[in-house]
Amino acid sequence: MASIRMKGIVKKFGDLTVIPRLDLEIQDKEFVVFVGPSGCGKSTLLRIIAGLEKVNEGDLYIGDERVNDLPAARRDIAMVFQDYALYPHMTVRKNMAFALERRGMPKAEVDARIRRAAEILHIEPYMDRKPKALSGGQRQRVAMGRAMVRNPKVFLFDEPLSNLDAKLRAEVRTEIKALSQTLQTTMIFVTHDQVEAMTMADRIVILKDGMVQQVGGPEEVYRNPVNQFVAGFIGSPTMNFFTAARCDGGLRLADGTKVPIGGKQAAALDRRSEAQVVLGVRPEHLRLAQGGDGSFEVTVNVVEPLGSDTLCYFDFEGSRHVARLDPERPVHAGERIRFSFDTARSHVFAGGDGRCVF
Amino acid sequence: MSETWIRRLNAFQLLLVIALILLPIVWMVVSSFKPSAQVTAYPPTLIFTPVLDNYRQLFSTTPFGSYLVNSIVITVGSTLLGLLFGVPGAFATSWSRVNWPATVTLAARMAPGALFLLPWYIMFRTFGMIGSYSAMILAHAVITMPVIIWVMLPYFDNVPRSVLESAQVDGCHVPEILWRIALPMVLPGLVVSSILAFVFSWNYFLFALILTNQSTKTLIAASFNFIGEGATYWGALMAAATIIAIPPIILAFVVQRWLVSGLVMGAVKG
Ligand SMILES: Nc1ncnc2c1ncn2[C@@H]1O[C@H](COP(=O)(O)OP(=O)(O)OP(=O)(O)O)[C@@H](O)[C@H]1O
Ligand SMILES: [Mg+2]
Repeated sequence: MASIRMKGIVKKFGDLTVIPRLDLEIQDKEFVVFVGPSGCGKSTLLRIIAGLEKVNEGDLYIGDERVNDLPAARRDIAMVFQDYALYPHMTVRKNMAFALERRGMPKAEVDARIRRAAEILHIEPYMDRKPKALSGGQRQRVAMGRAMVRNPKVFLFDEPLSNLDAKLRAEVRTEIKALSQTLQTTMIFVTHDQVEAMTMADRIVILKDGMVQQVGGPEEVYRNPVNQFVAGFIGSPTMNFFTAARCDGGLRLADGTKVPIGGKQAAALDRRSEAQVVLGVRPEHLRLAQGGDGSFEVTVNVVEPLGSDTLCYFDFEGSRHVARLDPERPVHAGERIRFSFDTARSHVFAGGDGRCVF
Repeated sequence: MSETWIRRLNAFQLLLVIALILLPIVWMVVSSFKPSAQVTAYPPTLIFTPVLDNYRQLFSTTPFGSYLVNSIVITVGSTLLGLLFGVPGAFATSWSRVNWPATVTLAARMAPGALFLLPWYIMFRTFGMIGSYSAMILAHAVITMPVIIWVMLPYFDNVPRSVLESAQVDGCHVPEILWRIALPMVLPGLVVSSILAFVFSWNYFLFALILTNQSTKTLIAASFNFIGEGATYWGALMAAATIIAIPPIILAFVVQRWLVSGLVMGAVKG
């Protein structure tokens, strides 16, 4: 149980700067999820916390202790590796017992912890098998189990669910979340999958090129993304982006449609100097319209009925967009349909750096 | 290349192996059981009653038994010493990816043994170690250690790094990682390298010529002397050679069973 503090962390591999400069605080008992595209430095950051990589600059604190020079073995951290990293010469049970036994924990206690973890992860049937005889998903769960039994100060998970099927993934996801609540341990979870991020995290850290883009609760990063990257990364299907030019009383889309913008939003827009901006609208904030100001007509390309709602894909000025519609309203491919924006819940990003204007 | 040519080359290669390797071995073993008069007879006699005269002569006229013991002590000792330093050496080389120390040992192994003779003779004499087992075991570590390092190295390189890091995170210090995680994963390599080291050390005679005395002389060095002593003992020499060849031949069969092995499987995603 411990907080984690990173101050001015810089990490280079030779000439390649992976983390240019990073500050981040993670509270005790917090469940934090790192998301970001492949290669953005998520694993590297986890490995730095675990003590498997040295930083070039900056300070890392676990609890109140500066741990820059503390070897991995003495940090009391459990980590689930992206590639599982099971001990191939040991049975599943041995894999899980290894860290506990080497610390001299009484056998009864070891057994109890293993039994509990095995139950949660549904791995009891193959406790006496070697990793070689397990499927990818089973190995992944064993790796999770090996971390779970440890009761460490901090849990680090590097994409631990990527190899599970959808049902098991949802199950284990809930279990991890429940586990974090019962264990009350700081957890850092890395994933590509923003659904995972949204559902599990107390706070989400969105990374790009080794830089923190935004830190916030799931709701917050969803509703108030700080820039276009975050807006595009969080949410599924992703936010629709329309390039737009500023004009009197609002924005003008590439096809000439005028989107009226008023009130506080207009004021925010006026404070910016760029002529070109990007209008960001989530699929659920595209409304069916009969006509009138700020509406545009498109041809539906693809319809995906999800049951709870219907996704409706269309092309607009050369790029693909998607709207989330009420399933009660039947749509079919090829249909001409008219949309307008829920401007109160839309965002505008500055043309240059992609910062959120509102 | 045409099929026929490939077949002809295969046949040629087979012939070469038979003529150069198998034939002398068979000849050696067969001769060792011939009565002494027939050993050097030409044309060689193919039908004879096998006798143990040569072996009897070998053990009665020379301290062959004690040479055998010397060989075993020195070979086993130098193999163990090689393992003691070579295995951690290979692990450290693989882990740190710093190669030059391993390369230096390899260079030492590649250098002609004669290079070491004079300096070692002086060194070991200074410490009064000439004729001792310890001098020979130390000297033969130059044979065994590079073999062990370089055979083990690719095995260690094949151990997924994340498995070792897992052990680190689980609280292991480095010697523990080697002993409890890495070593069990490279057991085939350990067997192969020990056997190769054993055989190379067993067969090496140059160091024994100057670093041993009568009481620590190895089998191979002793039989080398037989040749020098003239043609009288051909039968006994064949018997000696046969005995010397037995351990390496047995080990060669053992080693090939271990050469192909996939213990690492299943550790990572794969
Ligand atoms: N040991 C290393 N040596 C050199 N470069 C490295 C090393 N490890 C990682 N990198 C580089 O650092 C960058 C970040 O890698 P990292 O593994 O942290 O990405 P990631 O966000 O975990 O990606 P993914 O989602 O694909 O796992 C990448 O460009 C990678 O090539
Ligand atoms: Mg990664």
